[in-house]
Amino acid sequence: MKKLGSSIAHYFGVTMCNIKMALLTIVEYPSNILGWLISNPIQFILGFATIKFVVQQFGEINGWNYGQLAFLYGISVISHALSMIFFVQGWFMGFYVIEGDFDRFLTRPLSVLYQFFFTNINVFGLTDLIPGILVFVYGCIQTGFSFTVSNVVGIIVMLIGATLIRGGIYILLGSTSFWTKSANDFGQFTQEIFDKTTMYPISMYPEAMQLILTFVIPIGWVSFYPASDLLGIEHAFSTGGMEVWVTLAVGIVTMLIAGLIFKIGMRRYESAGN
Amino acid sequence: MIQVKNLYKEYCVAQKGKGLGGTVKALFKNEKKIIKAVNGLDFHVGPGEIVGFIGPNGSGKSTTIKMMTGILTPTSGEVLIDGRDITKHRKEVVCDIGVVFGQRTQLNWDLRLEESFELLRHIYRIDKKEYNETLAVMDSILGIQELLNKPVRQMSLGQRVKGDLTAAMLHSPKVLFLDEPTIGLDVGSKFALRKFIKEINAIRGTTVILTTHDLGDIQELCERLIIINNGDMMEDGNLSEIVERIAPYRTLVVEYYDSAVPEHPKAEIISASDNIVRYKFMKSEMTAAALISDLSAEKPIKDVGIEEAGIDDIIKIAYTMKTTVGN
Repeated sequence: MKKLGSSIAHYFGVTMCNIKMALLTIVEYPSNILGWLISNPIQFILGFATIKFVVQQFGEINGWNYGQLAFLYGISVISHALSMIFFVQGWFMGFYVIEGDFDRFLTRPLSVLYQFFFTNINVFGLTDLIPGILVFVYGCIQTGFSFTVSNVVGIIVMLIGATLIRGGIYILLGSTSFWTKSANDFGQFTQEIFDKTTMYPISMYPEAMQLILTFVIPIGWVSFYPASDLLGIEHAFSTGGMEVWVTLAVGIVTMLIAGLIFKIGMRRYESAGN
Repeated sequence: MIQVKNLYKEYCVAQKGKGLGGTVKALFKNEKKIIKAVNGLDFHVGPGEIVGFIGPNGSGKSTTIKMMTGILTPTSGEVLIDGRDITKHRKEVVCDIGVVFGQRTQLNWDLRLEESFELLRHIYRIDKKEYNETLAVMDSILGIQELLNKPVRQMSLGQRVKGDLTAAMLHSPKVLFLDEPTIGLDVGSKFALRKFIKEINAIRGTTVILTTHDLGDIQELCERLIIINNGDMMEDGNLSEIVERIAPYRTLVVEYYDSAVPEHPKAEIISASDNIVRYKFMKSEMTAAALISDLSAEKPIKDVGIEEAGIDDIIKIAYTMKTTVGN
């Protein structure tokens, strides 16, 4: 127990130091932040404008009205932003494998996966949070969502779970590089899939697709099921109000599996020749 | 301090045929070829030793160093640092080692040097007092103090290597691994690096494992030499003993007054030009004095000189030697 406490204190100290260094790096290159502040929010605001257009044409999407869609879209962008802050490096894992960049993490007394993500913690991900929160708050107002204690806890729990599911999937995709020995950038690909499956109700897809998104690649739990529950919308896999906790559990399991696959892959790591 | 036991590393490389046809074929039938990079190495390094680890490019020396530092997982065999297996207990064992790779840096490119040190201080949980003490020692050897406030991207290669050396020493490791640290350095920086290695070895008793292509480094620093080629151990021993064994000859350079040159039954003429002749002879067969007196009995000698076989001869011979063990 004492050992665990000291270990947590150790990782916490290093994390604080990493965050400090990330902020100092931004200060070194102030023009970058301006670019991110402008381009990231615009991307999501435009995405939301598309939804608004669709809803105006058809009234609703699969029984979800405008306000509910805003709620779903907003909370999805928020968990996306959180995953960008903590786990975006997963998109570039292949480059680390090919270029031997794990060497330096392996010679240090910390978990390799931890160093991989936190040495380059992406403070710029915060700029994605802004449009997410704006659209989410808008959705809350439209749907009359009440911020009771249980709802607030529910939102926090589902956001942690959703971020872990996203991060776990980035790790799983990135880890394929240990076997393929090629540096694929999964960023674009992952983002496309997550956008199409977490920002809209997945009930609009064919049933087979829904089953896959629920049980095989558990993206449905990132936003659709927990948001349905929070909004009181009926869906196919009701767990009787436990959806947000299922999301958390799915997130933890995905992360554990991803960590295991990464560890197995790491044994095949070949560094890079001089 | 370090025990390397029966260490093997094999890589699996997919074989592809030539051209488009070969690529398509490889999609269906994956032919794999196993490359043996390290072939059963066994050695032991005692505390406080400075060991030169040499071999031509592709000899398996980098692979060996990477297995010794926990970066690569051995196919079989083990590396023990202070009695503990580095593959099985990586996080604990790496606290005892410091690693500098000449072509890479562990410093943060964008920030002042001191920020990188501060991060390492947290990673290795070094208390402030110990940190300051180590920094003072490093300052006396390398003059690191004046670099602390400089962003790493603005540093010269020599300064950056100083930063990397200090970074590797902050947690006071028992063993320091240096993989081609002098590559690309100017004479002054090379001198500083050699001085650093000698002094941390003397002051802190740090064991040093050094790979290099620079013969000066070896001559200056290493008493013990390990030569590997094609993943096999070619030589392991005292530098002067290896010279004695692999190149047990000397060369006598004699200048005569004219070009009529005497021969000697126990010495081989390896070159002759402008009245200057080089005789190669075995140290065990005769002394230089005996050879000189024999030669001067036949012709008057103007001048003489003796050349010892140098480390570069040794390396040339060792690199071209066939594997003696194994095959």
